[in-house]
Amino acid sequence: MTTLSPRRGAPSSYRPDARNGMLAVPYLVPALVLYVGFVLYPLVDTVRLSFFSWSGFRTRPQDFVGVDNYVRLFTADPVFWRAMLNSVLWVALSLLVPMLLSLVLALALNRRMVGRNVFRSIFYMPAVFASITVAAVWRWIYNPTMGALNQLLDHVGLGGLAHEWLGDPSIAIYSIFAASIWQAVGFGLVLFLAGLQQVQQELVDSARVDGANAWHVFRNVTLPALRPTTAVVVVLTVINSLKVYDLVVGMTGGGPVQSTQVLALWSVTQSFQNHNVGMGSAVAVVLLVISLSLVVPYLVWSLRDNK
Amino acid sequence: MLRKFLATATAAVVLAVGLSGCSAAGANDDKTLVFWTVTQGDEQLPVLEDMIQRFEDAHPGVTVDLEQRSIDAHKDALRQVAGTGVGPDVYFYWEGSGLAGELVDAGLSADLTSYYNKYDWDDRFTSAALAGITQYGGHHGVPWTRQAMAVYYNKTLFKKAGIATEPTTYDELIADADALVDAGVTPIEVGGTVNWHIMRLLDSLVETECGATTATALFSGSASWADETCVTASYEQLKTWGDKYFNDGYLSMSNDDSSLLFFSGDAAMAIEGTWFDGTVVENGMDPNELGIFRFPTGTGRLSGFGEALYVNDASTKKDLAATFLDFVTSTPIQKDSVGTWASLSANKEVAAGTDNPLDALWEPFFTEADGVYNPADQSLSGEVTTEYWRIQNAVLTGEIAPADAGAQLQTFIDGSAK
Repeated sequence: MTTLSPRRGAPSSYRPDARNGMLAVPYLVPALVLYVGFVLYPLVDTVRLSFFSWSGFRTRPQDFVGVDNYVRLFTADPVFWRAMLNSVLWVALSLLVPMLLSLVLALALNRRMVGRNVFRSIFYMPAVFASITVAAVWRWIYNPTMGALNQLLDHVGLGGLAHEWLGDPSIAIYSIFAASIWQAVGFGLVLFLAGLQQVQQELVDSARVDGANAWHVFRNVTLPALRPTTAVVVVLTVINSLKVYDLVVGMTGGGPVQSTQVLALWSVTQSFQNHNVGMGSAVAVVLLVISLSLVVPYLVWSLRDNK
Repeated sequence: MLRKFLATATAAVVLAVGLSGCSAAGANDDKTLVFWTVTQGDEQLPVLEDMIQRFEDAHPGVTVDLEQRSIDAHKDALRQVAGTGVGPDVYFYWEGSGLAGELVDAGLSADLTSYYNKYDWDDRFTSAALAGITQYGGHHGVPWTRQAMAVYYNKTLFKKAGIATEPTTYDELIADADALVDAGVTPIEVGGTVNWHIMRLLDSLVETECGATTATALFSGSASWADETCVTASYEQLKTWGDKYFNDGYLSMSNDDSSLLFFSGDAAMAIEGTWFDGTVVENGMDPNELGIFRFPTGTGRLSGFGEALYVNDASTKKDLAATFLDFVTSTPIQKDSVGTWASLSANKEVAAGTDNPLDALWEPFFTEADGVYNPADQSLSGEVTTEYWRIQNAVLTGEIAPADAGAQLQTFIDGSAK
């Protein structure tokens, strides 16, 4: 069976040296200043604030409380664990459903077929919409009295399945997730399509000559070639899933009964609605730790052979 | 090499300085007042702009810069400027310990007692309006509106259900709701995604079941939600309303969506405030076909809250700001604008407007009321309000039994106070 070896880039005549490095420094300074000011400092300050009790007003004191915010978060916050569970659920479902759907669609739309570009555009289009717009559209689709979904079910004789899609705490999070699939599939589709262009046709042909069927070609040629792309899609999916916010805000605001609450929204709610910046920062730190613990090991593992 | 390095470094510095120079400059001259408020409706903005124009005409050389933001953005913006020495000279905000009280604590509101003396503002406003100003000590803000909430009802739908008179007791209200159900009419519309819409009903149920003294003690933190049996009764009533009288799908609707049911004649009642007089007309309803009654709590108190205009303590133009506040709350200006933001003016010399017949219905409510009870989100802190909403909704969905609701809320309050 043919195996895929990493492609080597053409040797470059460019050789970095100390002199060029010095010349680059002034050009890097503005970006570095912006990065430190708008990314690094807020990040470090969020971690610091998670150990303080503070209402968010500059004129109010910041009282050091040690790990009290974390203790309260893990033991007394009635919403935190629900938000945590929903965030983890969202990550798992996102890796399972839209990512696989993207891959299947990419494989289908990578073949020569009539209207291929039209289909690609149709599937990608939802990814262009702002999440808050998607939320508004789906909120109307789910409207219990005037929404398209319940009316459609009624018209096809399945009125018994009509439901309060966003009002039932036991299914509201899945209803939002359905909207997320609609929006997210296009993004993964484009990445996988780009990755499929890197699959060398000669390897596919060789495998077929060796007697490989379609599944074997996919399993042993296409999938290994898609590994860097898959790593990118997985990482972006995990990150985007953990920071999901606007869809939830736009469709339920975290309700009903905080049943659709997620960590990112709960962090914002604690900081800016509850005026408890310390607790909100603690939620943000938990979110950061989860993100890093999921993303970094996967990146290291998936890219270890691509050095 | 060195010359190249210096040249590029200089270019970078020039670029950075240039970029930093792009930041907006505030109004530093002593003739410009910066006024922050929430985004005004189509009918309100021209009236406000006219007020400002008349003030500028009366004070040559003075300019008022009006800045509008959505409600949450307005709150965020004020929080961000607290303690920075910048921000508006005058701003609109809601009264109450959980709202303006926080800005007072944060040093964002000037004590206007000296201006109350100078302009005799104590004589200008009703005592109810002034109570919202003096609640933090001193005088913070100038009354802008007195808002009250009551039950709007559709006369045609009440007639269809055989209801001839407005309910005067809670039992009569329940009987009317049952009659509406029997007539195939949704008794009341609520939108659950904005938790405060259902909260209005729960606030009134607590007032009904607990009475004025206990309700005040509960919301001020001097009584325990776990110990008062009336709390369980309130949540039981809320559950009844949710199970029998609310519109279908209320938990997944916003107040805007659910209000459509009232405008279209599909729901008979709505708990709304004085601002709703204009809203129903804008949405095509005939105000003569509507009535308003106070929620029959039996305590005689009116559900309501106040809105005020505040002067930033960091403002260097407090005298000019006070002049502006004196102008916009003066009798002639208020007579021209009454009904725009509320049916009644906080200025006691100004009678209710006559354009909308609903406006006149509010006046006796105010004069006959034995005080006011505030919405929960103006009485409780932000985080307790969030939990109050979670529990009210959990009772409605059956996740929390009414008997457990008060204890859970009190546990949270005790934990947040540590």
